[in-house]
Amino acid sequence: MASPIRILTAVPICDGHDSAINTINLEFIRHGIEVVYLGYHRSVGDIVRAAIQEDVRAIGISSYNGGHVEFFAEVVDLLRKKGAADIKVFGGGGGTITHEDAAAMRRKGVDEIFFAGTSLEEMVKFAHQRYGKPRWKRARAKTSDIELARKLTEIEDGYAEIKGKTSKTRPGMSKSSTRVIGFTGPGGAGKTTLIDELVLRFLNKDRQSRVAILSHDPSVIGEGALLGDRATMINSQNDRVFMRSMATRGQAGGLSPATHDCLALLARSGFDYVIIETVGTGQEAMPFQKNGIVDQTVLVMNPDYGSRLQLQKIVMLDLADMVVVNKSDLQRARTAHTEIEQRLDQNRRAQRLIDTVAKRHRDPGVDRLFDLISSNRKSKRGTGRKKS
Amino acid sequence: MSKLGQVVESVEKYNQFVLDQVKRARTDQKFGRDLLGRWNDIKAKIPVTRAPTGLALPRLALPEIDEPGEIARFLFGEGLPGEFPFLNGAYREMYLEPIREVESFEKNGETKKSKTDKKIPQAEEPTRLFSGLMLAEDTNERFHYLTRHQRTHRLSTAFDGPTLYGIDSDADGVFGKIGEGGVAIDTVEDMIRLYDGFDLGSAIFSASMTISGPAPIIMAMYIAAAKRRFGPSVVPKLRGTIQADIFKEVQAQNETIFPIEPSLRFLTDMVEFTTREMPRWYPISISGYHIGEAGSTPVQQAAYTLSNGFAYAEMFAARGIPVDQFGPRLSFFLDCGLDVEYIALARVSRRIWAIGMREVFGAGAKAQLYKLHTQTSGRSLIAAEFKNNLTRTAAELMLAYMNATNSCHSNSADEPFTTPSEEWIRLAAHGQAILLEESGIFKHTMNMLSGSPGMKAVERAVEAAILDEFREIERLGGVLAAVEDRYQRSQIQNASHRYEQQINDGVRPIIGLNRYRDGSDDIPEVKLARTPRKKQQSQVERLAKFKKKNAEKAKCALNKLATVVESGKNCFPELLEAVEVCSLGQITGRLQEVVGRFRPMV
Repeated sequence: MASPIRILTAVPICDGHDSAINTINLEFIRHGIEVVYLGYHRSVGDIVRAAIQEDVRAIGISSYNGGHVEFFAEVVDLLRKKGAADIKVFGGGGGTITHEDAAAMRRKGVDEIFFAGTSLEEMVKFAHQRYGKPRWKRARAKTSDIELARKLTEIEDGYAEIKGKTSKTRPGMSKSSTRVIGFTGPGGAGKTTLIDELVLRFLNKDRQSRVAILSHDPSVIGEGALLGDRATMINSQNDRVFMRSMATRGQAGGLSPATHDCLALLARSGFDYVIIETVGTGQEAMPFQKNGIVDQTVLVMNPDYGSRLQLQKIVMLDLADMVVVNKSDLQRARTAHTEIEQRLDQNRRAQRLIDTVAKRHRDPGVDRLFDLISSNRKSKRGTGRKKS
Repeated sequence: MSKLGQVVESVEKYNQFVLDQVKRARTDQKFGRDLLGRWNDIKAKIPVTRAPTGLALPRLALPEIDEPGEIARFLFGEGLPGEFPFLNGAYREMYLEPIREVESFEKNGETKKSKTDKKIPQAEEPTRLFSGLMLAEDTNERFHYLTRHQRTHRLSTAFDGPTLYGIDSDADGVFGKIGEGGVAIDTVEDMIRLYDGFDLGSAIFSASMTISGPAPIIMAMYIAAAKRRFGPSVVPKLRGTIQADIFKEVQAQNETIFPIEPSLRFLTDMVEFTTREMPRWYPISISGYHIGEAGSTPVQQAAYTLSNGFAYAEMFAARGIPVDQFGPRLSFFLDCGLDVEYIALARVSRRIWAIGMREVFGAGAKAQLYKLHTQTSGRSLIAAEFKNNLTRTAAELMLAYMNATNSCHSNSADEPFTTPSEEWIRLAAHGQAILLEESGIFKHTMNMLSGSPGMKAVERAVEAAILDEFREIERLGGVLAAVEDRYQRSQIQNASHRYEQQINDGVRPIIGLNRYRDGSDDIPEVKLARTPRKKQQSQVERLAKFKKKNAEKAKCALNKLATVVESGKNCFPELLEAVEVCSLGQITGRLQEVVGRFRPMV
């Protein structure tokens, strides 16, 4: 089975009209397309960076606030400049884009502009016809990010073609000074926000460091997915952050069949930190293999986990190196902290429990978590991968 | 229970009170007799007006009832126009033509004429046309064009994308957006150009500014511009409205630039200042329009707008601003489309607001008014066979005025394509004039179309549905908690998706699109108002000059602003100083350093 088509969608800078794109996203997903949604009010630079890192087939831009002729042209130009001209651009803007505009935009290299009244069906058909076939031989990658992005695609495609393929990578591969941190926890606990806030701190602490993020969203084999984590991330839209969104493509447990190999590749690609985020997980999930590539695991919890008994069932509470109670401004947070603390005491391991309010700017809890992660240079397995 | 829960209870209680009064009027003879007496009094005082044809009509139409129970149901349940609970209108006469001669029926039924000794003030024109394009001087020219035949100068300002997001025109990647969809404002100097030639302190002038995320900064620029032109004494005389509605931005329009809590704090800082120093200013326009445009159902629009309003009221009260000080300075803004709910959406909203404000917030009469600006639905206008948009807008105008909106903007038929051009703006404005001045529908008699069985049925259904929405929001912990939970957003998105699906499936007929389409009009010949590159370039250049000229002073002002923001004190006075020497983008950027940026919700 071929890999689903991956398309990035976004709304231009200074434009918050996301009603049309939301509808189109859902329609694409329903028809087997993996949509990486970047959100609204996004700059040309953000869009092109994301498209390259995600190695999508095409970028769909929905523009309702004018300036579209320039904006689309800038996206096409920047793609070319970055050596990513094989990522195509299409879009629409209801009646705001006239036929004359569209003609000008096509001349500048835009594949297609949809006008008001185009049915959703037509758009889906277009996407499948135009972007459904595998890309022919691609020109040599111009930058290391493009090369990395393509390799990730190859890994993912490989798993899509051979059903039931198992990882070739052996655990515990050497991976230089990169630290790999795994984030997991139930949906809605605020993992993405927390990661984005940590990224801000990584970027500020060391003006050279690079961070990679491997983020996951659920999907069923052969069907589409909404990969929407980027849309809520404000600090990770940065050239020093390489982010890749993956659909789980039918695998249970919070990760994709290709995750392990992709992570292994990222871990040896020279990043200072590699962050992996699972989909929202259930109680039984233990997504990170013991003695795997992940150095540290963080379980992010929501104070609303139900009764105390529920805590006994959460496997990750036994395994995680750090447990974060996010949204600790909620009323229930203190109770949650106490109950989780007792639960962790049973394990008799040096697990850390931290309260955060990730949505808050400069949250001291997130600062503490950051200090723990960034200062804890010694691996829990004691292999001591000190940066030298 | 949050205030919203109390509002639900107060409306339920009030409805029960009305029923009790009906019952009492029927059982308590004295009460019944008194009501009947009051009713006859009211009727006797209604002046007579004459249509141009000579037909005599009452200036206020009342239901033909003479049974005390029904009288109680009307007087308590609906109220006369201008009386609690204001179902029929916030004011007594709204858009009635002024009368020069008063006729009234004497007891013997003969008509007696008398010259009015009082000079009847000419009613204010309710027409507002939203406008903004290219650079400040271009919009200024448009404003002068629009108001050349108007007694009053009510300007409604649209800003371009960079301004709405608090970004300067010289920011990366926004060049093509300068002056598109609205006017580009970067500095206080632009603000001076924007309203040049208008007397900002005059009673016939008001400025409305449709901007929310950076509203406090833009407000400060407006005040600074007015002070530079007319001196500090102009400040208390300033009239107008600034949208400044943060909740609806987060719920629907996506033009939020700071995280929710600091956004609300900056808003409250501004409201505290304006309600004290500028008693004629409306520092917030609580807006359902964008919620409706983002695809909500009419009930969602009304419910979220009202609940947002109550949440603001709670916030301002918590800051210590007296309800009778801020209450009269709140205004509302609704969308009016073609769905059946619009027959009574604003009527019901006005009633719920009045009851909630009186019962829960202890508001006096002036602070109970749901003062409403309506705009016809932009979403209902389509590009295909776009001249049909004239009819759509006309029907929506009719609905808006049936709801006794206080003011109204009618969309131009070419809006699906671009910033409206003068030809179509003129037609849109004339649509209102035809309805209000040429036709006799709204100028002779108040309540002309109120109270039909159908309208009442819609009122009851809509009110019940709005209260259900309130209960759900209350269950989620109140408005702020629900917003952070993305409740309203997901509801709106669902509704929007359903709407599109319905158009796609043909369940929702859109003439010229999925029904009776001949396709001949698919390439409209509309002259587009686009901003020339040269103008965009000149905006960037004069901004650079401003920044260079004020570089040193800007640094100090921004530092001072940041310190006050950190301290938690009201920062509006520092904003007022900062806008003298800083650009919009400089201020936004500095504030974001202190309080963070808004994290988008999807």
